[in-house]
Amino acid sequence: MTAGPRRVGLTPGEIVRQAVLILFGLLALFPLYFSLVNSFKDRVQYAENLLNVPSTLHPENYGVAWTQIQGPLLNSVIVTVTSVLATLVLASLSAYAFALMDFPGRHLLFGVTFALLLVPEFLTLIPLYVQIRNLTLPSNYLAIILPTIAAGQPFAILVLRAAFEAIPKDMLEAARLDGAGHLQLLRRIVLPISLPILISVAIIRLIPVWNEYLLPSLVLDEAHRTLPVALVSFQGGGAATAVTPNYGALMASYVLSAVPLLVLFAFLMRYYIQGVTSGGVKG
Amino acid sequence: MTAVPGFRPGSSPRRDTLARLRRGWPAYLFLLPTLLLVGYFSYYPAYIAVTRAFTDWDGLNVPNFTGVENFQRAVSDPVMGQATLNMAIWVVLGLILALLPPLLISELIFHLRGRRRQYAYRTLFVIPIVIPSLVLLLVWGSFYRSDGLLNTLLGSVGLGGLRHDWLSDPGTALYSLIFLGFPYVDAFNFLLLYAGLQGIPQDVFDAAKIDGATGWRRVLRVDLPLLRPQLGLIAVLAIIGNVQYFISPLVLTSGGPGFATTVPALLMYFTATRDGEYGYAMAIAVLLMILVVALTGLSRWISRGSR
Repeated sequence: MTAGPRRVGLTPGEIVRQAVLILFGLLALFPLYFSLVNSFKDRVQYAENLLNVPSTLHPENYGVAWTQIQGPLLNSVIVTVTSVLATLVLASLSAYAFALMDFPGRHLLFGVTFALLLVPEFLTLIPLYVQIRNLTLPSNYLAIILPTIAAGQPFAILVLRAAFEAIPKDMLEAARLDGAGHLQLLRRIVLPISLPILISVAIIRLIPVWNEYLLPSLVLDEAHRTLPVALVSFQGGGAATAVTPNYGALMASYVLSAVPLLVLFAFLMRYYIQGVTSGGVKG
Repeated sequence: MTAVPGFRPGSSPRRDTLARLRRGWPAYLFLLPTLLLVGYFSYYPAYIAVTRAFTDWDGLNVPNFTGVENFQRAVSDPVMGQATLNMAIWVVLGLILALLPPLLISELIFHLRGRRRQYAYRTLFVIPIVIPSLVLLLVWGSFYRSDGLLNTLLGSVGLGGLRHDWLSDPGTALYSLIFLGFPYVDAFNFLLLYAGLQGIPQDVFDAAKIDGATGWRRVLRVDLPLLRPQLGLIAVLAIIGNVQYFISPLVLTSGGPGFATTVPALLMYFTATRDGEYGYAMAIAVLLMILVVALTGLSRWISRGSR
């Protein structure tokens, strides 16, 4: 096959492949469609048909959903943005030290950080909960932000160290001869060059932080609870409950909770794809 | 520069180390915040978990050492037996769901003609990542309700006899949770496999074509062996992930009906948060961790041994 601007034909095999892909792709997005159409229905419309677009819309569901969700949505944004940014700052400092500085215990300390990837989350969940419960923190947000930063360190350091090591050494030497210190090197050269990788790490890390449920549900009080925790508590006690919830408002809250990532991915999707496919994750 | 040469040979390297330590202080300063956080929020809780597994810790009072009592209780507890069986089913089926659908989709996209077309479909299968995982869970929970989508669909195609409350029936609850999330094309696994296919040199495909390996034969003979590292990684991550996963039974079924959807990790969670038996909970957690380490080691050994 030669490269070049030639028309790609539609053979029968190609049509079948694309049909299967479109079908599966739409099925993967179906929960979003389901939430969207049902978020505009009242109880009667919901009971009548689960799949159609309703003839009379009930946008007031979004008002109900918004009053319930605005607090948790803001909390989620605060927690996620702070955790991810702090993860990047601390991991950059550490990765710089591991990649570009010489000091005794370098390999040992890297091993100590790296080994954390092997400590499973469920092992530390309960002790962390007890530990944080007994800790007097200036803000309840920190109860989830601090452990989340710690949990993000091994992955971020691993990826960033590889990126920093790949920076041409003569470039750093030149700056060093001009009298730049380590912090200046990091800020003026290393971080700007590594910006795409920093964004990739941020996006890859952001998704689990945004979706985190277990620890936040244990350590955050009601005023600080994040979106996943709030969604579960609106929904009530799961399938076992006899009461039919207000599905319209519930579905509207699901749609609203997908909006922030939708906006983010509209701009930064390629950084996620590059990050996962570049080999940085393969370890 | 460091020591008088030829005098007390032992001291020279030691002083050298001291000097390097002193010169290394910026590095330690750079590492300090990370090490403090990781030490307090990762290593210390892990240490607590492992040591308190041998005690009657209740989360508040000073724990008493009870030896292996918690572990004996865990291995003889019939609920643990049921939970372990549920977990085994979950791990096996979860492994298939983590491997096959992403593999199928990445093969289909990789063999499309035209880079733009491939790019468009690749994007289509990454977009669902914007759905928060809890939303996916809750929407699927609503599908399974007696008035939910699944029963409506069954009724409309004349299979009304199969209708029931999927999560309340002990016979279907576990499988309903495992099979939640159709079509299971995890964006991360899919991208990993797709990148793996892109990494295979074109000569290999050309050679396979000359040898007459096309279509399914080529997938089996060429793609699968060359994708082994990616498939191995996905398998290990899926096994580790499913051994410790318990959010959907926690949120949708509370482990019920009965213990039909209880898994050991959920039992660990309830034992601590609901019953206040933190020591016993940590014993279950330690047993699970040993299992995770053993399975990881085993899979690495298998992938190395057969290479």
